[in-house]
Amino acid sequence: MNSISPEIICAVATPEGMSALSVIRVSGKGSFELLENIMSLEKNRLKGMRRKVGRIFEEGNTIDEVVAVSWPEGKSFTGEEMVEIICHGIPESIRTIMDILIRHGARRAEPGEFARRALGNGRLNAVQIIALAALWDKENCRKAFTRETEERCRKLLNVIESTRETVEGIIEFGDTHLDGNEKNIRSVLKELIERAKDFKIEAASIEKSSRVMIMGPTNSGKSTLFNVLTGKNGALVSDEPGTTRDGSTCFLEVSGRRIQLCDTAGTDGSGLDRTASEAVIDSLDGTERVIWMSVGGKKPPADEVRKKAGEVIEIAAKSDLINGKGIEKLLNVSSVSGEGLEELKKMLSRVPGSMSLSGAAERIEESVKRSYNFMLSNEYDLAAELLSEAEIEARRIIGKGENIQLSVERALAGMCVGK
Amino acid sequence: MKDEWDVIVVGGGHAGIEAALAAIRLGCSVVLISAKIHRIGEMSCNPAIGGIAKGTIVREIDALDGSMARSADATTLHFRMLNRRKGPAVWGPRVQSDAAEYARAQQVYIGSNGIEIIEDEVTGLDGATEKVTGVRCRNNGSIKGKTVVLAAGTFLRGRLFRGDELWKGGRIGDISADSLEKNLVERMFHVERFKTGTPARIVRSTVNVDELEVQQSEETYFTFSFGEYQPNDKQEVCYITYTDENTMNIAKDYLHLSPLMAGRIEGTGPRYCPSYEDKVVKFPDRQRQKIYVEPMGYGSRNFYLNGLSTSLPREAQRKMVRSLPGFGRAEISDYGYAVEYSYFHFSEIDDTLRLRKTENVFVAGQICGTSGYEEAAGMGLIAGANAGRIAKSLEPLKLSRMNSYIGVMIDDIVSKGADEPYRMFSSRAENRLHLRQDNADRRLFNSGDRFGILSEEKRELLTGNLKEAEIVWNVLESETVDGIRLSKWCRRPGITVEDITYQAHTLVDRDEKVLLSVLLDEKYSGYIERNLRRHESSKNMEKISLRGISSYMEIDEICWEAREVLEREKPETLARAERIPGIRPTDLHGLLIHLGRQRSTWNNSKEE
Repeated sequence: MNSISPEIICAVATPEGMSALSVIRVSGKGSFELLENIMSLEKNRLKGMRRKVGRIFEEGNTIDEVVAVSWPEGKSFTGEEMVEIICHGIPESIRTIMDILIRHGARRAEPGEFARRALGNGRLNAVQIIALAALWDKENCRKAFTRETEERCRKLLNVIESTRETVEGIIEFGDTHLDGNEKNIRSVLKELIERAKDFKIEAASIEKSSRVMIMGPTNSGKSTLFNVLTGKNGALVSDEPGTTRDGSTCFLEVSGRRIQLCDTAGTDGSGLDRTASEAVIDSLDGTERVIWMSVGGKKPPADEVRKKAGEVIEIAAKSDLINGKGIEKLLNVSSVSGEGLEELKKMLSRVPGSMSLSGAAERIEESVKRSYNFMLSNEYDLAAELLSEAEIEARRIIGKGENIQLSVERALAGMCVGK
Repeated sequence: MKDEWDVIVVGGGHAGIEAALAAIRLGCSVVLISAKIHRIGEMSCNPAIGGIAKGTIVREIDALDGSMARSADATTLHFRMLNRRKGPAVWGPRVQSDAAEYARAQQVYIGSNGIEIIEDEVTGLDGATEKVTGVRCRNNGSIKGKTVVLAAGTFLRGRLFRGDELWKGGRIGDISADSLEKNLVERMFHVERFKTGTPARIVRSTVNVDELEVQQSEETYFTFSFGEYQPNDKQEVCYITYTDENTMNIAKDYLHLSPLMAGRIEGTGPRYCPSYEDKVVKFPDRQRQKIYVEPMGYGSRNFYLNGLSTSLPREAQRKMVRSLPGFGRAEISDYGYAVEYSYFHFSEIDDTLRLRKTENVFVAGQICGTSGYEEAAGMGLIAGANAGRIAKSLEPLKLSRMNSYIGVMIDDIVSKGADEPYRMFSSRAENRLHLRQDNADRRLFNSGDRFGILSEEKRELLTGNLKEAEIVWNVLESETVDGIRLSKWCRRPGITVEDITYQAHTLVDRDEKVLLSVLLDEKYSGYIERNLRRHESSKNMEKISLRGISSYMEIDEICWEAREVLEREKPETLARAERIPGIRPTDLHGLLIHLGRQRSTWNNSKEE
């Protein structure tokens, strides 16, 4: 009988944001053919272990010039047929390439799916597993998101569940005992799409709003700390597109967590700095963390800062100069000697938000949208399937397990039926 | 008569018939014992076969060479493909059958295949419970058998109710197997009580059908059986009528006389096939309810009232029926009633449908807690096949959740049981896109063939179907459109069989049904593949034992919250851990890593 080829998965393997180059990974049987198609290459050009320069087109327009590197089955990271697309690091074009891949039959990989496939195909050895462990480990210890986000995801899940229950009801009883659900289901799904979209935006904003402001009185060493964190120890990731790089804002990765670090003008809250400091405090929107630093921790943050910031990390700066005589319960940091920097970075890495969350939120939205489209073409079977995939994804976010054996009893309890 | 039979089947309903026939196909000697042999194959409730998911089960039964599909085909009066506009994966073929002709057709199968038939009441199992030697009968004494299939339906201490009337019986006009139930209880089997019911039958000539909506049969040629189409030249129409406020008020007036409401029935009833009085209580705002009026047979003198199952007193039933449009002068030929009966608790049954306490007793149908003809027949076929295979010391047959509704049903029943009679729904199957009515032959051929339950004739026919599908598939794989293989191209939305034959002319002469079936395979393949993988991974997680972990608090690989939860719950396997609320995928990965580290020689993850 027909051997159904395993699914092709794709994912951007490099961090989000502007960069010179990015890598998109594509894995699964049929990856070569898929790439050959979208790059308009001759058949079998990617067969084997090849490197091919080419263009990716959409409706005749070149999206990007890329290098495709292929690995045959058994030789790749995942053990499957695999292609890495090295493209330019422009978020817009990366997104378009992903869309093209998906339209041609690939789907977005689930978190860790490449590694899981590798594991499944016996492509990882003990050392590599331990190395991956370190990664997963880190993932664990972070609180992936705040309680409010979790609550919102739970609500989204409830709506997905009840929508799916309605769809199942229509499938099981619609013909014989019409309940009027069929008329409503489209608007219900439309509403669900809106919710999924909101959740996606929120997830993205959690990741994006992981802004950390360095604040404190003038001459407390804010810019030095900023430079140390962004220059020497932090990996510079990218500028925020659209903002001028004035040296005071920078995206960096701290312990695998992407944050936006901002240097600010001195905020004494008095005298000549008054206007500047008010502007800074006004710009706080409640999501940021503030590193409040003063020499030796002697100047506590203003009440307004405490009120408006998400969280304030108070540190005693210039510990090298004051010989550790800072206020005891505060973290002593010296940008010069390096004291306290590791601890500070650990604190920063606990900023809420993670890359996997917005990925999951995107997949939920995608599934719900596709479900709606199937509904429009009267394919209730696929509409229900997509809803169950959205459900699995949402359950995964809040850690409810992937087991979604629908409780038919619950789903259909409200139906008035005969035999 | 033989000294010892390979397989003894107790009961001649939908389950018993398939059990006996499956055992015969395996080459066993089989005796079927029924209390009234002229009622073998009777449709005790509505005169219909199939429905959503149920219809697919009938096709699966045919793929395993059972008789239900063929008997239904031969006696079809009216056909509808339910959900025709909701996606091919949830199409549900359903037919109205001529009830009497259907039973006769089934009796012919039983009679012409060398099954010995005995009319008697089975009063108990014989021999030690661990390994019974056969059954005891009221008139024939002991009958010896290597294995026994119990398919007694609603007969185990069956009690019939209507208003304040109460009498013994498995159904109207039949006995109750009180002695057999007593024997089973004495043998320490855990049984519980369920209830079900049936509506009144109406004298057809007293109904004014001009006042009813007509529901015509679809004209499409359809057969449940994967063989040639042989149309039944007889046809009937069905009708639709509606309840209204009056019907509901009458039911309310008599509610206190309902045996259910008065608490005289303790068994739980089926929620999806509820009695009318149940609906009145649960859905008081739904005064207008659809009632299907179905002829019991071709030119039959009786109508069946689908949707009006009731055990209210006769007077109430008469008034309720007469409140329906077109039924103003209707006469009732048989009044509706409820039946309460015993069934085996799911903990007694293993995944081959064997009773765990014994080596050689199998069960199927309502005595396992299911409801419905199709469900009973599907289980009967498996129970009979396994009884036969055990009698011959062969490995038993199991179907997977992934390849059949029968597999889903058995897994559901034996792993979690049911708190009400179990009816099959398509949404119970996580791999629903694969479990379609069009591909049952291809899904189950290997199981049927490998376990020897296909007759030579059936085997040939199915092999032909498989070959046809392969030819189609090969064309799809080899031909291209715009440089894209047809098999990929056809996954695009809206592609029809006509589109494909237009692209690949060699397919014009192929069987259109097979063509559609293969097209659907391709269309759904991505989802199916994913479901299979999910199933595999949960099966793998089931295999990973966590018993070696003495304390979770020291496991650095997982987060604190998870450590606490796991320490409290102490799950036995990784799969169990997954189901605990609050445990995230990363914690599971962490546990895996921890286990890996513990092992001194981690061997390229072969033990995954």
